[in-house]
Amino acid sequence: MNALTPNRPDVPAPVGLLAELTHRCPLRCPYCSNPLELDRRSGELDTATWQRVLTEASGLGVLHVHLSGGEPTARNDIVEITKTCADLGLYSNLITSGVGGALSKLQALYDVGLDHVQLSVQGVDAQNAERIGGLKNAQPQKFEFAAKVVELGLPLTLNSVIHRGNIHEVEGFIDLAVKMGAKRLEVAHTQYYGWAYVNRAALMPDKTQVDASIRIVEAARERLKGQLVIDLVVPDYYAKYPKACAGGWGRKLMNVTPQGKVLPCHAAETIPGLEFWHVTEHSLGEIWRDSPAFTAYRGTDWMQEPCRSCDRREKDWGGCRCQALALAGDAAATDPACSLSPLHAKVRALAVEEAAETPPDYIYRTIGSNVRSPFKEDVNS
Amino acid sequence: MNAVFPPPDAADSQRLLSPDELEAALRDIGARRYHILHPFHRLLHDGKLSKDQVRAWALNRYYYQAMIPVKDSAVLARMTDASLRRIWRQRIVDHDGDHPGDGGIERWLKLAEGVGFERDYVLSTRGILSATKFSVEAYVHFVAEKSLLEAIASSLTEMFSPTIISERVAGMLKNYDFITKDTLAYFDKRLTQAPRDADFALDYVKTHATTPELQRQAMDALTFKCNVLWTQLDALYFAYVAPGMIPPDAWTPGTGLVAEALAPQAGAGVRKMVADDRPRLPRGVRLRHDETRGKYVLLAPERTFDLDDNAVAVLKLVDGDRSVAAIADELGRTYAADPRAIEADILVMLDGLAEKRVLER
Repeated sequence: MNALTPNRPDVPAPVGLLAELTHRCPLRCPYCSNPLELDRRSGELDTATWQRVLTEASGLGVLHVHLSGGEPTARNDIVEITKTCADLGLYSNLITSGVGGALSKLQALYDVGLDHVQLSVQGVDAQNAERIGGLKNAQPQKFEFAAKVVELGLPLTLNSVIHRGNIHEVEGFIDLAVKMGAKRLEVAHTQYYGWAYVNRAALMPDKTQVDASIRIVEAARERLKGQLVIDLVVPDYYAKYPKACAGGWGRKLMNVTPQGKVLPCHAAETIPGLEFWHVTEHSLGEIWRDSPAFTAYRGTDWMQEPCRSCDRREKDWGGCRCQALALAGDAAATDPACSLSPLHAKVRALAVEEAAETPPDYIYRTIGSNVRSPFKEDVNS
Repeated sequence: MNAVFPPPDAADSQRLLSPDELEAALRDIGARRYHILHPFHRLLHDGKLSKDQVRAWALNRYYYQAMIPVKDSAVLARMTDASLRRIWRQRIVDHDGDHPGDGGIERWLKLAEGVGFERDYVLSTRGILSATKFSVEAYVHFVAEKSLLEAIASSLTEMFSPTIISERVAGMLKNYDFITKDTLAYFDKRLTQAPRDADFALDYVKTHATTPELQRQAMDALTFKCNVLWTQLDALYFAYVAPGMIPPDAWTPGTGLVAEALAPQAGAGVRKMVADDRPRLPRGVRLRHDETRGKYVLLAPERTFDLDDNAVAVLKLVDGDRSVAAIADELGRTYAADPRAIEADILVMLDGLAEKRVLER
């Protein structure tokens, strides 16, 4: 069926590539999905290497490229890289904070064929938003950027990561998206990986707040049908079944880090012992098909009970490996977000407990920090 | 509220109470333990529950309603006096009705349907919390195994129900736009039935609890019944409010509902596509052939639409210039089919895409 499979029918073709072009970012959001140890500019891949990676991705069957970071417009060659996507027929999605150099590059990005912009908003109230993002005067820049996106006729998605510091603003995010002329709004409850894991106690909302936010979204969807599409990502810790992480390990998505490491998901580096291959040493196809990190948890052979005999095993693929490691101490365990996990009740209780405490201060994302996850063994200990 | 009916203290428990004292003691149990005081009911009546939480309540409470005639049949089976049975059997008639489509259980089903459930799903009792079933079944066993006096006394929560019903009806109508007067028809009848039933049962208990021990049994029976009701709300709160721990087989939001409850009607402000409209794919939405998988896909913000052959044929003609009618004419010629039938089909498809904001006109 495709270039990959003559001898490997078990390896599906990838559909999406998350290109983390750089870890540099003017914002310092405490829930950033980047790893705690951020790549420095000096180690970033050069333009030609990214162009080769995109060409190989297109050949493998990738359709969507998410140009992300960090702040992708912090790279001087963002326009060239976007043009390469367009030339290859790849759908380009710019995932941006809208601050820094983003606005000045927007027209050029439009001209070379950028398909879509996803703009992050940290809060509705400017003061709250800027406290969360850790950058003064970010909010007006974001608004100006959004207005320009819409004026150019580019589709705009607003992305709001929801946590206890802004969960009271869900209604406001919806109004803001409508006012800005966005076509989509993502109301994404924080996923507790990366920096969000470190800041979990500062971010975890309580169940009543979560439920209220879901109710608000449901009502708005009905009211705004045909005007605004609202995607809702519900929080894992309060869920019944886990999410299929990245659509299943090594099934749909891959993530290339600023230095060219290829990961099955953006948090995969937290799993010790996984061997990641580099785009500078292997072709993307080899990495997707054969690299130890991708083969480790692809399919169902690696599963333990209760996943192994579960009839949902090919729906959620056991959930998130990184979360299984973080909460169960074993990356091959059932994701404790799943109600069938023996640890589910503990995880739920943990969330309830943290949400009931006074939130600690944020540990802001920063390059070169010595932050270590404080939660390593909090469930199993 | 507590002050009105001081609880009988332990030293008193051996003394024979006058009928009025007994009634006061029974009422006091309700004042302290009736489920109107439960946090879940506060949330329900104050409009603080989500639609799904109201659904969970309606679904679970169905099990209680459905088992009430079973419980009353067990009570009836223990009555040797025909005059008693004639009175008690009215409860079964009230709940089961005289014919299909009638009675309290049916009205509760209407309520469950009113909040979006499929009737068959409710009838199956599949998604009902085990804790609900355990509580309700404990009630049935209780009346079958204990004395007739205790069985009758356990029904006395009906003394307290008119208050809860009026609060509930007023609160729910005021606070939930998905609740209508029709949906709550169950409670209209209960407002008159419950006091009638309670008057009889209270008289019976006051007349037949003639020793301190029998009076104690009657009070314990009513306490037990309050706990049957309270426990059901504990289980609902635990599963659907906080910590929100839904047991593996219990109902989860989004299941067991009729299609309309899942897919609400289109917003009033957005009009449907018509034959004269000229649809187009906006910037950021592209029809592309996917060589790897050998098919066409529609690429859109953060998603990919898989297309069947018909959709591909339509979208190839969507250019912002051709009207829907013109597209239908062209497809009619190509496939030798009635263009107006095609038009009706593709309007539905194009509306679907417009609703997802990947098609404009």
